[in-house]
Amino acid sequence: MAQSRQLYDAILNGNAKQAHAATLAAIETGTTPMTLIADSMVPAMDEVGRLFEEEEYFVPELLLAGRAMKTAMELLRPLMTASGEKLPVRVVIGTVKGDLHDIGKNIVASMLEGSGFEVIDLGADVAPEKFVTAVVELAPQFVCMSALLTVTMPSMKTTIEALSSAGLRTKVKVLIGGAPVTMAYAHEIGADGYSENASGAVGLVRSFLAEA
Amino acid sequence: MRLKLIGCQVLTRELELVAARSPHSIEAEIVPMGLHDLGVAMRPHLQERIDLADTASYDAILLGYALCGRGTDGLRAGKTPLVLPRSHDCIGLLMGSRHLYHEYFDAHPGVYFRSPGWIEHQIPGQTLEPAFSAAYNTDGKRHTIKELVARYGEENGTYLFEQFASSRRGYSGLTYISTGVDFEDSFREAARGEARKEGWDFEEIEGSLSLLQRLVNGDWDAADFLVVPPGAAVTTTLGDTIVGAK
Repeated sequence: MAQSRQLYDAILNGNAKQAHAATLAAIETGTTPMTLIADSMVPAMDEVGRLFEEEEYFVPELLLAGRAMKTAMELLRPLMTASGEKLPVRVVIGTVKGDLHDIGKNIVASMLEGSGFEVIDLGADVAPEKFVTAVVELAPQFVCMSALLTVTMPSMKTTIEALSSAGLRTKVKVLIGGAPVTMAYAHEIGADGYSENASGAVGLVRSFLAEA
Repeated sequence: MRLKLIGCQVLTRELELVAARSPHSIEAEIVPMGLHDLGVAMRPHLQERIDLADTASYDAILLGYALCGRGTDGLRAGKTPLVLPRSHDCIGLLMGSRHLYHEYFDAHPGVYFRSPGWIEHQIPGQTLEPAFSAAYNTDGKRHTIKELVARYGEENGTYLFEQFASSRRGYSGLTYISTGVDFEDSFREAARGEARKEGWDFEEIEGSLSLLQRLVNGDWDAADFLVVPPGAAVTTTLGDTIVGAK
């Protein structure tokens, strides 16, 4: 479809204005939000992820593609609410307590949203209790935690312990990431997964969903 | 003892001061600051210098570093043992205690730390940036809004600038760690000016040279120092010990 291609290109090129126009045009021709997400948005974000892995796209391109995608989602969300359409998977994401770094986390959130998942971003400096409350109130399938300082990494362990104490540990998959974080640390604290970048995070979520 | 000290530029005045007061013979090598921006890619830079020092006859190679975002994780001792203070980063070293750092950090979220070295050795003309911010500028440089707009256009350029600056929004205070080195007034005033410019609270706390003094004095009690024996390498343990050797 012409509109799908237009939105696809807009996201790939980080053109928020074009994404807005393309989404409006698609809505006008009766394309449903779910169709537009599946046919244009997800493939575009997949391609963005691939280009990042190939080191053709870097952080600025990811941020701009994410922005274009969000512009489209802002138009689609009210329609989905009105029609009762829900995205099938919910992810809660945040940077842990004491840590204010958020760009990486924002990119992961963006890539997940662009891949058709519902993402609730708790922001930065998120205490374990706040993650627990979010799980209670929102019943996500995934909890993603980011830390950029080794000083704050232990909060990942505390949060997992808090989820266990609240009887919620088995209800979610916990994924972690951030520059100083490692797979070994994920194993050590009993996280379900680790990714070293945003497109890896998308892959992880998809592989868990495929298993389920 | 004959000791080789390989230390981060951000600790220059502090290391020079304590080295001069050590009973041992210290040969100091200062490494340009900002390596931590490379994250774990910092390791080869330090390993190279360690390996070179290892060809001489030192009793130990002292590292004027901390875990540094795991930048020192994996550093291997040749025939000469390595000594690394137990701390997550230089802030713990400047405070003289990782425990004091931990307490202060927990009690003061949203604080930027500055010290004499953090002021003195920033590239002239550059705005002071927190550790790790340059990781987001994947070409390793910090960009002005003008540069971003020139490259990506007005709208996208401005958006990117705001995104890269976003972490700064969470900060509410600047804490200057005073270490008692000479000529500190100018560094303190520069830090104060930065806080004013950002609209942040300014606080000064007294740091301590004790940990660094013990490093160069050979007082390497296991509680506060990691001694990496020949052939072993630094590992990350986190927890209270922060680092280990394997």
